Amino acid sequence: MNRTGETAPGSWEVVPPRGTRTALVTGAGSGLGALAAQRLAAAGWDVVGVDVDEAGLGRTAARSPNMHTRVCDVADPKAVEALVAEIGTPHRVLHAAGIGPLSPALEQPLDEVERVVRVNYLGTVHVVRAVLPGMLARGQGELILFSSLAAWLTAPLTSAYAAAKSAVNAYAEALVREHGDSGVKIRCVCPPQVDTPMLRRIVERYPAVGRTRIMPPRLVLDEIDRSLARPARDLYVLPGGRARAAVFLQRHAPRIVDLVLRQAIRPGRGLSEETRTG
Amino acid sequence: MPVRIRDAAVASAMFAVPAAPAQTLIDYSGLRVATPIPGPARPTRRRAICSLAFIRYADGDLGPYHEFAVAFLVRPPDGGPIGAFIHWLPVNQAFTLDAGRTIWGFPKEIADIPIDLASRIKRCAVRFGGRTALELAVKPGLPMPGGAAAPKVDAYSCLDGITRRTPWTMSPSGVRLRPGGARLTLGDHPVADELRGLGLHGARALSSSTVAHLAMEFADATEVRR
Repeated sequence: MNRTGETAPGSWEVVPPRGTRTALVTGAGSGLGALAAQRLAAAGWDVVGVDVDEAGLGRTAARSPNMHTRVCDVADPKAVEALVAEIGTPHRVLHAAGIGPLSPALEQPLDEVERVVRVNYLGTVHVVRAVLPGMLARGQGELILFSSLAAWLTAPLTSAYAAAKSAVNAYAEALVREHGDSGVKIRCVCPPQVDTPMLRRIVERYPAVGRTRIMPPRLVLDEIDRSLARPARDLYVLPGGRARAAVFLQRHAPRIVDLVLRQAIRPGRGLSEETRTG
Repeated sequence: MPVRIRDAAVASAMFAVPAAPAQTLIDYSGLRVATPIPGPARPTRRRAICSLAFIRYADGDLGPYHEFAVAFLVRPPDGGPIGAFIHWLPVNQAFTLDAGRTIWGFPKEIADIPIDLASRIKRCAVRFGGRTALELAVKPGLPMPGGAAAPKVDAYSCLDGITRRTPWTMSPSGVRLRPGGARLTLGDHPVADELRGLGLHGARALSSSTVAHLAMEFADATEVRR
């Protein structure tokens, strides 16, 4: 900087000047989505927060004039399309909406399996189809899709959830191979267990889940922020050394992972409960 | 009614500055700078403490926003414990600007305040219309056990000739601390000129710290009689 204070923004400034950028955050009613929306709003982004939980959206956006909220179910393609038609193509999309009911594979009601796939996988497809064309036309954008470490290491009771998140991974991999050179940065975030309302509801039912290390949501968001400085094709974001080590083990020593995960949650009865992430 | 901040993150640095010009700078408040560092007895050589901090408020009663603080450690007029006098407090959102000025008399004004708290080195700039007032970078320190930072402090402020005291409670976690470790670059702004006058351009910090998660509570302000 020179004496008169005229500087170009530093390379660390992922945050743009006020009012020049817009962000869409799904699952903004609670958990990771809520904190992500608040952090972006704090940094001066114009944020549109989306969830099916209207009360949760109200809490997230309280006293935040540059945050706007819409009740929208990402499982509904027309609703997502209409939303993006209304707000325009955002510069950054953080798609955190998802659900994670736990159930033994053979006992999970089929309509619940369908719902998990519809929200977690098709919800991702709907969001991507609504926002990516505009980002490609602009030649830039940041498209952050939330998957889960469960897509890499599948524990008992997570069959539908892990299958849907694995589909998100595959979809994101195809996207980055098709559009890796377009100027749009695509990220597929695979967090381990994160301290969110969804996880707290699961721990109430399965205290064993709470005995593993649980990551604060801020660390996941910090990892995403850092990942955006990396090259466009660097798709996966694995927050925390343990998640990276777990994925490494799964690739190179799958038997050890199997031994650990079989003990993680023991299947029981009447276990299905729908919970909603943010 | 106390105002609660449920989630904030902070990086800060403390600098030793000559006490006499620091006192001149805050004379308008009627408060006296604290000179806690043992050293030369001659009054002209005494050092006061200037604290600079940048804060990201994510979840709290004042909404989400970024803030930069220029504060001096002060001795309260009634002989109580050392407090922090907030000399300048730019923020980047309107709600907190109005609330801060009217409820506590904090010297808030609107600026662009880009903050990077995700990287190893935490950075912040304060800009007005694209012109940089200052930039602060804070290097990572060593992890401190829980509750290492001061849990209770009185914050002092002076707006429109009224000096106020605001009891301020903090619950930090993820605290890292180190000697030195901060770099301040001053630009073009009256406050930057004031800090330059204290010898802070390119100065070495006494210590710097980062707090990954900070919950806070601000009680109502009371007027301080001069």
